[in-house]
Amino acid sequence: MTEMFANLSLGFGVALTLKNIALCFTGCLVGTLIGVLPGVGPIATIAMLLPITFGLDPVGALIMLAGIYYGAQYGGSTTAILVNIPGEATAVVTTLDGHQMAKQGRAGVALGTAAIGSFVAGCFATLIIAALGAPLTKLALLFGPAEYFSLMVMGLCFAVVLARGSILKAFCMIMLGLLLSTVGTDLETGQERMTFGFPPLSDGIDFAVLAMGVFGFAEVLRNLENPETRDVVRTKIGRLLPSWEDIKQSIAPCLRGTFIGGTLGILPGNGAVLGPFASYTIEKKLAKDPSRFGRGAIEGVAGPESANNAGAQTAFIPLLTLGIPPNAVMALMVGAMTIHGIIPGPQVMTKNPDLFWGMIASMWIGNLMLLIINLPLVGVWVKLLQVPYRLMFPAILIFCSIGIYSVNNQPVDVAFTALFGLFGYLLIKLGFEPAPMLLGFVLGKLMEEKLRQALIISRGSFMTFIERPISAGLLLVAVAILVIALLPSMSKKREEVFTE
Amino acid sequence: MSLNKIEAARGWRIRSTQDLAAGLFMIALAGLALFLSRDLATGTLRQIGPGMLPKAFAWICAGLGALLAFNSLRYHGEKLAGWSWRGVLFVLGAAVVFGLTIRGFEIGPLKVPQLGMLVSGPLVVLISGLAAEDVRLKELVIFAIAMTTGCALLFKYALGLPIPLAPWLLGI
Repeated sequence: MTEMFANLSLGFGVALTLKNIALCFTGCLVGTLIGVLPGVGPIATIAMLLPITFGLDPVGALIMLAGIYYGAQYGGSTTAILVNIPGEATAVVTTLDGHQMAKQGRAGVALGTAAIGSFVAGCFATLIIAALGAPLTKLALLFGPAEYFSLMVMGLCFAVVLARGSILKAFCMIMLGLLLSTVGTDLETGQERMTFGFPPLSDGIDFAVLAMGVFGFAEVLRNLENPETRDVVRTKIGRLLPSWEDIKQSIAPCLRGTFIGGTLGILPGNGAVLGPFASYTIEKKLAKDPSRFGRGAIEGVAGPESANNAGAQTAFIPLLTLGIPPNAVMALMVGAMTIHGIIPGPQVMTKNPDLFWGMIASMWIGNLMLLIINLPLVGVWVKLLQVPYRLMFPAILIFCSIGIYSVNNQPVDVAFTALFGLFGYLLIKLGFEPAPMLLGFVLGKLMEEKLRQALIISRGSFMTFIERPISAGLLLVAVAILVIALLPSMSKKREEVFTE
Repeated sequence: MSLNKIEAARGWRIRSTQDLAAGLFMIALAGLALFLSRDLATGTLRQIGPGMLPKAFAWICAGLGALLAFNSLRYHGEKLAGWSWRGVLFVLGAAVVFGLTIRGFEIGPLKVPQLGMLVSGPLVVLISGLAAEDVRLKELVIFAIAMTTGCALLFKYALGLPIPLAPWLLGI
């Protein structure tokens, strides 16, 4: 316990320097600014804003990126409430009651509740991360290559089951991501693999190029095709601060949501995505009058929003302690960290304690910032929501182009990104959801490395994955979750959850 | 995903062109990967070669693709929707033009000097803007100039990234 507070105070010492506070503030602000734009989800936001952190030192860059991430999350909720367009899966639930509240002239209260709920959740989640960080890192150091490999297999199985749309197609995307990750020079023999003999590919496919192509350009193409129906709330935003009555109603859902979201977020699959759904279902079950849900019940905003934010934050735990990103957004963070020369994993905490704890402390500061930034700036966000798409996407394009160019100062990268944009558009046309591909892509290299190490240690025996108890347990969970998801009764339920 | 008995009795036919195309696409990609990795040593489990995982992943991809295609004959699903060539052409074309002009290029007899961001920036906005069906030229031109100025200030001066502005005019 005392160790935790000592660590946190070290973190606050790092995060509370004037420069880092300014970076955290800027991150939150621009994150929200871009995240608010309809049709731009958190993945696209982070991919787009990645280049603005290039000039910074690693600690500052990560603090700013974390700020961008929270900002993007919160911006997504704002769009969900005001325009009824969810930026990503987790914001879907917020549209149900949040947008109804907005239609009834209570948009301000909905936004305020979301902000306060997120802040409360953020505070708890920060404490959870601080408390679990050290013990989990110690656990991670006990992991051998076999355990790591099994853990990643389990994470990918979770990601398949929790992806939107068909399980089979999500499976395809994961495998495609893994396949793409093998392009480039083989680490052990130095042989070039599937590069077409083309020199820029010998280092492998650049992560930023893939992410911006598939999530920046292809998204633009997808959005251009669907003539948008923006249902921007025309009624007044109204007062922002919830009344005493509202607070009393939302405090319990908020705490429950924090607990649910925070717990699910720790799972090394995309558990965070379940948080808001679970919270909404529970609140609906617990409510005296469930029929209010879907018609502007404040609990339906407070619970899921808290769950969303808590999950968004605890999702950092598998990344920071084990070095394994649980979802596509965290996969993006891995890419960002690698660009700054940090390999995420247990060694980050022991080797760069100021980076690790500074980032955690900045999470709390970031949540506070969001509260401070968002409440007075709601008017600005509403204005932004009215920017027509015909101006928005050229802006996205110039930003992405400059950004990709700046990653390596390579004009070829921009053309490559366009190619991946085409690839992503093709995937969308074929009904694939590309987010799991990014996760597979990021995990692929690490998986191959661990698999090879594990098999060298075991002298080529696959039994090592089953003989080692932790590894066997992880694989068992992976098999169990796949079997459960494929049971006919469950797959029906799964469809319901994701279409609600 | 499920069919009632009467539907199922009608036998196999293409019930989802999207899924069928998706399955064939996966198989095609897997085929390409297998072709490209044909010369890579597979190795043994004790000493995995560079080719083992690419080949294994490709085979799994092919298997999943086959399953997807097979399912499209049994279960109903979405139809394949048309492409929007306009979007592809202008949006992706704009990015390619940016890549070609920012530092210049030489392909055979074709030679473009380093134009820098002050030219490439507006080009991206103008070309991509044409993809929108409700494009307004005047507005787009003003927007292109404003965005380029903003980006130049942000990336070149505020962030200090080494991106050429207009080497042919300003020398930077």
